[in-house]
Amino acid sequence: MEERIQEEKLNTQTGKKKKSRRNGFFFLSLLLTAMAMILLLVFYQSYMNSFREDKVQKVYDRYYVMIAPDRKSDFMQSVYKGAFERGEKDNIYIDLLGDDLPEDYTKYDLMRIAIDSGVDGIIIDADESEEMTGLLMEADLANIPVVTLLDDNTQATRCSFVGIGGYDVGREYGLQVSDIIKSLRREYFMTTEDAKEEDIAVIDVAVLVNSSEPSTSQNIIISGIKETIARTEQSGSKANLTLVSVDNSNAFSVEESIRDLFINGDVPGIIVCLDELTTTCVYQAVIDYNVVGEVSILGYYNSDTIINAIDRGAVYATIAIDTAQLGRYCVEALEEYNDMGATSQYFTADVTLINRSNVSSYVRKEEQDEQILESPSEN
Amino acid sequence: MNRFWNLPLRTKVTSVYILANFLILLVNIFLIIGINNMSREIELVYQDNRQLNELSVALDNVQDSMTSYLNSKTSDSLEEYYKSDQAFDSMVQELNDKITDRPFDRMEHNIKNMAQGYLDTVRQTIEAKRGRNVEKYRVRYEKASQEYNYISSYITALNQVQFKNNSENYNEMAAKFRSFERISILVVFFVIAGNVFVIIMLVKSIMKPLGKLADAAEQVAEGNLDAGQVEAEYKDEVGVVTDAFNKMIVSIRDYIEKLRQSMEAERTLKEKELTMEAHLKDAQLKYLQAQINPHFLFNTLNAGAQLAMMEGADRTYEYVQTVADFFRYNVKKQDKPVSIKDEVSLVDNYIQILNVRFSGDIKYEKEVDESLLSTQMPAMILQPIVENCVNHGIREMGDRGIITLKVFRQDNEVCISVKDNGKGMDEATIEDIMNGTLSVDRQKGDSNGIGMDNVIARVRIFTDDEDSIKIISEGEAKGTEILIYLPLETA
Repeated sequence: MEERIQEEKLNTQTGKKKKSRRNGFFFLSLLLTAMAMILLLVFYQSYMNSFREDKVQKVYDRYYVMIAPDRKSDFMQSVYKGAFERGEKDNIYIDLLGDDLPEDYTKYDLMRIAIDSGVDGIIIDADESEEMTGLLMEADLANIPVVTLLDDNTQATRCSFVGIGGYDVGREYGLQVSDIIKSLRREYFMTTEDAKEEDIAVIDVAVLVNSSEPSTSQNIIISGIKETIARTEQSGSKANLTLVSVDNSNAFSVEESIRDLFINGDVPGIIVCLDELTTTCVYQAVIDYNVVGEVSILGYYNSDTIINAIDRGAVYATIAIDTAQLGRYCVEALEEYNDMGATSQYFTADVTLINRSNVSSYVRKEEQDEQILESPSEN
Repeated sequence: MNRFWNLPLRTKVTSVYILANFLILLVNIFLIIGINNMSREIELVYQDNRQLNELSVALDNVQDSMTSYLNSKTSDSLEEYYKSDQAFDSMVQELNDKITDRPFDRMEHNIKNMAQGYLDTVRQTIEAKRGRNVEKYRVRYEKASQEYNYISSYITALNQVQFKNNSENYNEMAAKFRSFERISILVVFFVIAGNVFVIIMLVKSIMKPLGKLADAAEQVAEGNLDAGQVEAEYKDEVGVVTDAFNKMIVSIRDYIEKLRQSMEAERTLKEKELTMEAHLKDAQLKYLQAQINPHFLFNTLNAGAQLAMMEGADRTYEYVQTVADFFRYNVKKQDKPVSIKDEVSLVDNYIQILNVRFSGDIKYEKEVDESLLSTQMPAMILQPIVENCVNHGIREMGDRGIITLKVFRQDNEVCISVKDNGKGMDEATIEDIMNGTLSVDRQKGDSNGIGMDNVIARVRIFTDDEDSIKIISEGEAKGTEILIYLPLETA
């Protein structure tokens, strides 16, 4: 009897265990189902949120546009970047107008579009043409402040000009030309036995200028070069400065014009380039026509290609322009004009000459600057 | 939770069924809503492009209607212009005016401003045309056309940008949609698995106690009442049946115990009764033995016979000698078979004693085949039969009573017949005698104590034949014949 009671007790205990296990399983399965449903809900919510997130955007207070015919060049992209970063600080959006448009509009068309679009400010690589003058006046009538960048229009009302000190650049080029002539002269006297002063050949210096637009800034650079060469000629250097017109009226014509210069056979000893594209094209032509060493290139702007070319000795020197500063000045000028109603008429960005002697230190400095710029974003 | 398991089966099954279906329904509704919303979002992806196409068409309409009016100056074209102007204007008003970091927002802003300028130019052109100011409307027409080109170009660009962006969105959405699909399938699978699990558990919770109950019932059916109690896990119908079963087992066990006890009591009682009967018989025997001590009687009678001979009383001597022979037979020959001759002699002695007692009233006839006298038979058979004939058949007949003893051969048997001409007996009495069911009292009397049932039983045992003894009587007052058949000894 006692055994039976014991057995029944044991059975009851086992039954209780089974019951609690069954209840556990029951709850577990319900929990699993609930979790699966919650998972679906969470996924659905995040899915729907991802659409909504798309719709929340940063809204800017002002809208400026930058118009430049060579907007795809490293130089202009760099200027734009500087302007854009400066604009971000004041909650201004700066567009490089024409980038998204299907047609390749001229800067006049783009200027008109900008005026019609009712932007809050325009930064334009202007010129002295009548059309540009008219458009600038139109913008003035529409109360849109305009800053001219690199090339000015002196006839119309614009709030400010941001560029580089053309005369200084010209002087730098002149000094470089003089240096090249001197080194050639030195080499002549050292290698020729009966060297005579009058036998020294006059070195041809070709300055490549844009044909399509009359540019004040290029004129200033050229006059700077001329004056400097004239001054240095007194010390013995002989140079024959010529202006070679480069056709920039349509796409690819710059490259073709430069090739023509080499094909004709009368290759000048020194070529001075006044923009980035010309520099790159001349550098490539010198390599292609195997005249490295015979032709000294004085370049413009410090793109990676040009810096590398200096490092290799294919380009004698180049003018490095603080493009970020150029962009920054443009935005600051517009901001000042919009806020105060007036601003400084003239801003110049810093220029630095880069040649073989300082190219490596320049590269190092640039890399350091880039690291400094990148590190906050990494954090 | 235990409350749920204790619910009635119908409620449990129904509630789990409803719960399972409800969960699946819930998931399905959710999936349908989710898929609907997503499909709607995906449909809306290219809505911007559709709107831009409509805007482009509206712009074309304005330009075309203006050109048409400038060409023909018809009122129809003017009406068309007004309509298209209104349509385009209302569309333009809906364009975004904010500057954001999304290119298409800025483009919309530009298009909106340009379109408003364009509409102004077009209105001025129309006005100039109506005022017939040829120079003015030509200049404005050219301006309007230029602006139209810019806007068209911008809309195309915006369309492209939007399309690119929307395509990316579409791809992203489609990918998410597919993941949603996969996760949905997974969730449906989980929910179904959960439901199946719950249902399996429910069925198990119902079937397991039933199975236990069935096993226990089978064991009980096989007679094992000690199979033990089946535990009722829940208080549902199965639990109730299990409890009832347990109680039933206990009841059956109790009932069987009681039955066994009563049977035991009955058996003891019967044993007691039998012992009593045996004792009684033993007492009767001892009493009879005490009454007749044959040796003493025989010696006494011998002494009497010798005395009678010495005194010359020959008849007395003969009588006492006969009595003495009679008792000697009783003393000697009871436990072994004897010859017919001995038995017949005993009957002769007995008749002689009776005739002395009753003054020769009994007529005794004897027809004996002498050759058969050596045949063996049990002792003390014929004398009790003759005694019965005397006592029950012819006692009251006086000197008319005749007893006939015959020993003859019949086929392969020796037949001994004892017949009287007394009062006979009916069939029922014969039957009772043959079956030994005649009451003891009726057999008693002044016999030597050996009853007919004893005689019949011994003859039957000796011959190993139920029919070896017969009683024949043709009815009241027609006498009785008792026939004994013995096997003929072939030796």
